[in-house]
Amino acid sequence: MNESYIYAIAALLPLTSIMLVLQVNPYSALVIRGILGAVAALLYAVLGAPDVALTEALVGTMLAITLYAVAVRSSMVMRLGVLVKEGEDGSRGELMTALRSIVNKRQMRLELVSYVDKEELHTALQDKDIHGTCLREGESYSIVMRLQRLYEMIQTELVSSSAILTYLENSDSQEKH
Amino acid sequence: MSLLLIAMILVLLIPLYDAWKNDNIWQKMLAFASISTKTAILILFISVLRDDWAIGIVGAIVLTVGNAALMLLANIIKRMNET
Repeated sequence: MNESYIYAIAALLPLTSIMLVLQVNPYSALVIRGILGAVAALLYAVLGAPDVALTEALVGTMLAITLYAVAVRSSMVMRLGVLVKEGEDGSRGELMTALRSIVNKRQMRLELVSYVDKEELHTALQDKDIHGTCLREGESYSIVMRLQRLYEMIQTELVSSSAILTYLENSDSQEKH
Repeated sequence: MSLLLIAMILVLLIPLYDAWKNDNIWQKMLAFASISTKTAILILFISVLRDDWAIGIVGAIVLTVGNAALMLLANIIKRMNET
């Protein structure tokens, strides 16, 4: 084969793969993975393997990206349980912004899970439905974290004086998360 | 014809650079849409050039699947920003 453009197309594949490896944000990496899939399908088709190109486009690009996007979205999250009536006056906003900026630095996101009363909130924490709770106690807020890693992360970085942070020691620690 | 293909590959580098440098996720999605369409058009062009129907049908399918993947990914990223 004396078709010189094949070399140019082949050079695109390492270029995009280096781009993919250098990504920090998982969502950006997924988009770049789609680009890599498109370029790989082009290269395979040009090199005379249309079956491989088709598989790369269907499985490598579409299925893998969709499944990984769902996995990243549901795993890289900190679920914080709050009470519905405490969020109404908007005094919690500042603390939530501080927490959000802490978890966003690690490419995670903060999800507030609303509960009606304290009983439900504690049951959810015991059932490992949420990672922590945030309740108002007088003028300040009390944050209880169930996971040690998250507790250490917030403890070192949260500078707000209106929040008291505690770590919930788990009594039944056979199940590790 | 080879020169035309080289020109198309050079045009393909423009959205590639944008996807690399731009940190906004929607700009990256735009670059992804651009690249997946451009690569599919390149496959179709090469299939006509070589008179090979097997490559041609793969090009058509890649064009369709690229759009579907983009829509699925865009929906998930949009919902991430809502909560």
